[in-house]
Amino acid sequence: MSGMTRRQFLRSSGVGLGLGVLGGGCASAMKGDFAPKTGRRVVVVGGGWGGATAAKYVRLGDPSVEVVLLEPNRQFVSCPFSNLVISGVRTLDSITFDYAGLRRHGVRVIHEMASGLDPAAKRVRVGEGYLEYDRAVVAPGVEFQWEQVEGLAANQDKVLHAWKAGPQTQALAGQLRAMPDGGVFVLSIPPAAYRCPPGPYERVCQVAWYLKQNKPKSKLIVLDANQNIISKTALFRAAWQAYPNIEYRASNKVVKVDPTAREVTTDFGDKVKYDVVNLIPPQRAGTIAVQADLVGADKRWCEVNHVTFESVKAPNVHVIGDSTIGLPVPKSGNVANAMGKVAAVAIVHQLNGKQPPELAPGNTCYSWVSDREAIAVVNTYKIENGKVVQIEQKLTPGQSVAVAQNSLGWAQSIWNDILG
Amino acid sequence: MRWLMSLVLVLAAATAVSAGPLDSPGAMKALNCSACHGFAGQSSGDTMPILAGLWPEYFKKAVADYASGKRPSTEMEPYAKQAMQFGVDDLAAYFGGLKREPTKIASDAAAVARGRTAAQQCVSCHGPEGRGDRAKLIPDLAGQPPGYLKNQMILFRDDRRSPGDDMVKSVKTIMKSLSDATMSDLAAYYSSVR
Repeated sequence: MSGMTRRQFLRSSGVGLGLGVLGGGCASAMKGDFAPKTGRRVVVVGGGWGGATAAKYVRLGDPSVEVVLLEPNRQFVSCPFSNLVISGVRTLDSITFDYAGLRRHGVRVIHEMASGLDPAAKRVRVGEGYLEYDRAVVAPGVEFQWEQVEGLAANQDKVLHAWKAGPQTQALAGQLRAMPDGGVFVLSIPPAAYRCPPGPYERVCQVAWYLKQNKPKSKLIVLDANQNIISKTALFRAAWQAYPNIEYRASNKVVKVDPTAREVTTDFGDKVKYDVVNLIPPQRAGTIAVQADLVGADKRWCEVNHVTFESVKAPNVHVIGDSTIGLPVPKSGNVANAMGKVAAVAIVHQLNGKQPPELAPGNTCYSWVSDREAIAVVNTYKIENGKVVQIEQKLTPGQSVAVAQNSLGWAQSIWNDILG
Repeated sequence: MRWLMSLVLVLAAATAVSAGPLDSPGAMKALNCSACHGFAGQSSGDTMPILAGLWPEYFKKAVADYASGKRPSTEMEPYAKQAMQFGVDDLAAYFGGLKREPTKIASDAAAVARGRTAAQQCVSCHGPEGRGDRAKLIPDLAGQPPGYLKNQMILFRDDRRSPGDDMVKSVKTIMKSLSDATMSDLAAYYSSVR
């Protein structure tokens, strides 16, 4: 390899060529070991807030490590700010990005779904073939527990969650616009833990704001499986003073939906009629994490080492983002981004035979309570005896335009941190 | 002997691992900063200041003031405490060692021109182009994002930045005399200085 950098070698080798073809989406080519490993390789499963960040930062940390990112979607749609698409304050286009920036960092992005993980053989399955890795990052986000709500699995096209930003976000916005004035919008919040604890309550604000402006005779009924608002509680309560159209019912878990009767049923047996329903289903770790048995006894979430994010159940497999449990952090985009960076640094250290540093995440979380004002909660953490512990949590004193402006600056920077 | 020395040097160069962008302790400790302030402190957002190129002593004062609540900020107080926990000296050295790339957020040329005129009253402390005074910890404003600069002016005006601090009394007096439009012009001007 004299006279040639490792990167040049990879670029000119069959590895680069093979993956380049696959980048075009040629599933039939993926048989056996379809891109044999020639050096150290990290395979990242999932290109969301955590996975995309990890992929980029492994390359930044050690450009001699090959990074393959498996993500079926060709576009990255931000969940943060997607509630503002439902209310029409933002467009879906304004929160949609591509993966070109990661490719510029030398990440090999393949738009295919990883179908399985074999930690013993250090392989990720893709199509009919597999990729070998030295270390894997599993960042599959959440999967919905459709079976927890009767009638939901069979009616996924009519009963929208809009909890993964994309076509459903747009579709729910359309349903809201088509609802007659005087109609009832029912929003169902699942029991914790779920992705983005304050997200449903921000959505309540956005739907209520839209209805107040455009359909003043309409009502928003919130059926919350939890006993109370589970995040930024006092700030949301204060914000809701501006929306008398909200009817909030705590400890009301939806167990059944009937799109023909346009009705949901709670665990108390109460039936609630709707014109539009937004049912956010109960959640667990992404399917690949469950199938690879990275989850705990509850079969829902993955426990990890707090310093390296290595799975407690499988060596050389790091789990980051919403799939994790056991850290005192919310399932937020900012935390997933921070975990991606901490895990990437740990992986680079481990691949080079060094002790990973004790870093810890932070969480900056904004919620828009109208078309112009926002609130925020900020948490920072440190490592104590090998575990993540909170240093401090701080909430904004109230809602303001200034906080909303800060959130725009945050979004611009963090999207760039993930993908730029 | 000389050829031997050369050989040793060549071998040393070949085996030395070149320092990557994450290799310093400060770079690793700064990972949480990049969510808002951009990678290597090069913020691309309008409201988030660029940390690259901040004088270490100014950075440390800002972090200490945020952590103690003297400079009140919901966002920065917890992160400043984390920075102190991780090691603020490493962070200050890291950001101080980077070159500030001026913000890419462009301002209206007329606003920049008006701001240049209005900036005469700032020169005695911040210098002719807003480059500040390191010895007095008066910050370099040049190239910071306009949204951030304007927010700070508003915080000074309303006595919400370092309330009760005599060191910044004069800047607050000036800010109280400025219209909102003039603040925007000043922000446009200083952000445009290259």
